[in-house]
Amino acid sequence: MGNKLSLQLNNISKTFPGVKALSDVSFVANPGEVLGVVGVNGAGKSTMMNILGGLLQPEKGGKIIINGEEVSIKNPKAAEELGIAFIQQEVQVFDTLNVFENVLASDFNKWTKGKTPFLNKKDMKAEVKKHLDALDCHIDLEAPAFSLTVGEKQMIQIARALSLGGQIIIFDEPTASLSDHETSKLFEIINNLRKKGYIIFYISHYLDEIFEMCDRVIALRDGNKTGEASVTELNKEQLVNLMLGHLVEGAVRKDARDKDEIVLKAQNISGVKFPKDVSFNLHKGEILGVWGLLGSGRSELFNTILGIDKMTAGKILFNKAGKLEEVTHKQLYKHVGYLTEGRHYDGLFLDMPISKNITSSYLSKFASKLLGILNTRKENEESRALMKQVNVKAVDENMIVSKLSGGNQQKVIISKWFLKNPDILFMDEPTKGVDVGAKTEIQNLIFEKSENGMSFVVVSSELEEIMNLCDRIIVISDGKLVGEVSKKDFSKESLMEGIVKQEEKDEN
Amino acid sequence: MLNKIKLFASNNKQLLSMLAAIAGMLVVLSFTVENFMTWANITNLLAQVAPIAIMAAGVTFVLITGGMDISCPAVMAASSVIGVAFMTRFEVITGVHLVMGCIILLIAGGLFGLINGIAIAKLKMVPLVVTLSMMTVATGLATVLNGARGLPTIPSSYANFFNKYTIIGMLIFIPAILDFILTGTSFGRKVYYIGNKEETARISGINTDNIILIVYVICGVCAAIAGIINTSSLLTARATMGPQSQILDIISAAVIGGVAVNGGKGRVRDAVLGAFLIVGINNVMNLIGVSDYYTTLIKGSIIIFAMGISSFKENYLAKKAI
Repeated sequence: MGNKLSLQLNNISKTFPGVKALSDVSFVANPGEVLGVVGVNGAGKSTMMNILGGLLQPEKGGKIIINGEEVSIKNPKAAEELGIAFIQQEVQVFDTLNVFENVLASDFNKWTKGKTPFLNKKDMKAEVKKHLDALDCHIDLEAPAFSLTVGEKQMIQIARALSLGGQIIIFDEPTASLSDHETSKLFEIINNLRKKGYIIFYISHYLDEIFEMCDRVIALRDGNKTGEASVTELNKEQLVNLMLGHLVEGAVRKDARDKDEIVLKAQNISGVKFPKDVSFNLHKGEILGVWGLLGSGRSELFNTILGIDKMTAGKILFNKAGKLEEVTHKQLYKHVGYLTEGRHYDGLFLDMPISKNITSSYLSKFASKLLGILNTRKENEESRALMKQVNVKAVDENMIVSKLSGGNQQKVIISKWFLKNPDILFMDEPTKGVDVGAKTEIQNLIFEKSENGMSFVVVSSELEEIMNLCDRIIVISDGKLVGEVSKKDFSKESLMEGIVKQEEKDEN
Repeated sequence: MLNKIKLFASNNKQLLSMLAAIAGMLVVLSFTVENFMTWANITNLLAQVAPIAIMAAGVTFVLITGGMDISCPAVMAASSVIGVAFMTRFEVITGVHLVMGCIILLIAGGLFGLINGIAIAKLKMVPLVVTLSMMTVATGLATVLNGARGLPTIPSSYANFFNKYTIIGMLIFIPAILDFILTGTSFGRKVYYIGNKEETARISGINTDNIILIVYVICGVCAAIAGIINTSSLLTARATMGPQSQILDIISAAVIGGVAVNGGKGRVRDAVLGAFLIVGINNVMNLIGVSDYYTTLIKGSIIIFAMGISSFKENYLAKKAI
C-alpha cells in the first residue's frame, strides 16, 4: 500500500428540509489510524458516512480530498473505485450463495473464463482464500452463507471490502450482533488492518469499544463537530459531554424495598431446542435480569414463556387477584408486554404513524363494544400524552415511524407497552442501538414504572447495563438455568461462575 | 377553510386523481359517443360496474393483509350455480325459494372463502397456490352442477327485484359499509397492521390468524354478492359466468385504486373507483368499435402505464427523502 493514502474533509455541510444535518465539518484521517465517530442519534454520523459512501452529495464549498486530490463521490460505485468500503451494521450476505461467491458477488464479470459467461471458480476461490487468510479466518469456501454465524458473515463482508481494493473502511456498529468471542476476533482484525496502513472509521454507541479500539475520536452534535481528540486525552465523561453538550447522570434505582409478592412463576419451562427445564419466580415491582452469552437461549426463553415458540413442557402460574393460578399463553399475554430485540422485524409498523403504532397494543380501549368502531381522537390524545411522558421527539403523533431515529423508535415501542400498562413487561435488549442520552431515559422509565408495581424481565448483553438495572439476575447457559445472583453480589465473576461451572460439568 | 381543503387534498391524493381520471373519461365519452349522457345509458353502465366493483372491494381486504385471492370469479360462478340449482329444484318456484336460494348462495361463497382462509391462515399455505387451486375446484364444481344441458331459468320476478336500481344501490351501500369496516373499526385497523408487518401485529397481541381467515371469508361473500347480481341478468347461472380472465379486471381495479399488492395500503372506496375506470375502458373500446383482439392489449398497456406512474412517483419521492 502506498504511503500517500490520506483522506481529508473540508467544510462539509448538508441541509435537509428543515434540518441542518452537517455544518462545516472538517477533519483529517491518517493511514494506520482507527478514527472513532461518536454522537447521539441524529448528530450527523450517518449523513457524514453517506457522503463518503457516495449516497449523498455535500453542499457547495465542501471538499473531499483523497491522496491529495479533490474528488467528488457521485454514487456508491465511485466510492468503491476510490477504495471506500462500508461494513454495514446489518450483515448483508446472499444466504443461498456460498462463501466465495458472496465475497466476490459485486464483480462476477471479472471472474469469467475468457469471454465465456462461465465463472472461473478455481481462481475465485484462490482470490477469496487469500483475503480470508489475511483475516486469519478459516471458513469453508463452499459453505452456503445461511449456515454461517453472524461473525463469519461479517468476515465475508470485510473480505468483500478488501477484494474490492478498499483502503478506507467504515465500520458502522460492527459489534451490535456479535458474541463476545466474535467481537474480540473482529478487534484483532481491525488491529491488523491498522498495522497495514488502512484508514478505518469506527462508529459505535458503545463508548468502551471506542476507547479500546480507536486512536482518535471525533464527536458530532446536531451536525457540528464538537470535539476531536486522541482517546488518551479524554475520559468517558468528557466524551459524553462532547456528544450531549451536558453531563448525564446515570439512572439510579431508588426503590430498595423487598419484593415478595410473586406475579409470575415459571416451572420447568422447556422448548424444542431452548430453554431446557428453566424455573424462576418474578415478584411484583421487580426488575429481573436474564443474562447469558449470545446464543445461550435468552430470547428463546421469552418466546417460549409467551407462547410464540412451542413449549414442550412446563407450567406457567400467574397471580390473579392475589392467587397464583396456572394460565395458558393466551391468558398470560393479556397481562404482559413484549419489547422484542428486532425493532424493525417485529417491534414496529414502520410505514404507519406513531399514534397507530402506540395504540396497537390495546386497540380495544379505543373501540366501541358492539361494533368495534374506533375513536381516533381519543387515540391521538392518549398517544400525545404518552409521547410526552416517554419523551418521544417527533413533529406530532401522525409522523411516520420510519422517519424517526433509532432511539425514538425504541421509545415508541415503550410507549406502546406503557399504554397497555401490563403487569409484566418482557424486554429483550431494551437499549440496543440507542444513544447514551436515550439510554438513560429508558432506564429511568423502567425504574419509575417498577416503583409503581410493574414487573420487568430484561435481557441485555451489556453487563454494566444489566447490573445497573436489575434487582436480581438469573444466568442462562445452553438453554439451562445455571445461576441466580442477587443485587448485593453482582459482579462479572459471580455471573460468569455459573456458566463456567456448567461448561466444566458438560466436559466431564 | 382553505387549509382544510389542502389537508383533505393531501390526504386523499388517490381519491382525487381517480375522480379526475373518471371525469376525464366521461368527458371524452360524452363527446365521442352519441347519446352517452342519457339516464338509461349511465344507469346501465353503473349496474354493469357493480359485480366487478364488489369483488374488487372484497379482494381489497385480502390484498391489504398482503395476501392474494384469484378465485373470486370462479367462486362467484360456483356459488351462483349452487344457489340457482337449489332454486330450480322446485317445480313451482316461489319467492321463498328465491330468498332461500340467495341465502344458500351467500353461504356457499362464504364457505369457499372459509376454505381458502383455513388453508392460508391456519395451514400457512401460499395464498396464490391455494386460491389458484380453489379457482379450478370451484369451476369444476360449477361445471358438474351445471350439467350438460345447463340449469333451467328462474322466474323473472328475481330480475324485477334485482333491477338496475337495486343493483346501483348495492354498488353504493356494500362498498360504503366495507370501507367503513376497513377504516373505522378495530377489525379494519388490524387488517392494516397485518399488512404492514404481520410479525409486529402478532407480538402486539393481535390474533393474526383469525383476522386473515375472516378476510378471505369476506372476499368469498363479496364474490357471492356479485353472483346474485350476475344471476339477475342471466336469470340462471352457469359455470362460464365467471371467466378466469375476469380476475385480472378485479385486481387491476384494486391496484389502479392504489391498493398495495404487498399489503398495508389502500381503501375500498378507491378500489371501487378503480373498477369504474376498468369497466369504463372496456366500454369505451366496445363503443368505439375496437376489435377484441386489441382490447386486451390496450387495456393491459393502460394498467401498466397507470401503475408505472404511481410507482415512479413513490420511488422518486422516496429518493428525495433520504
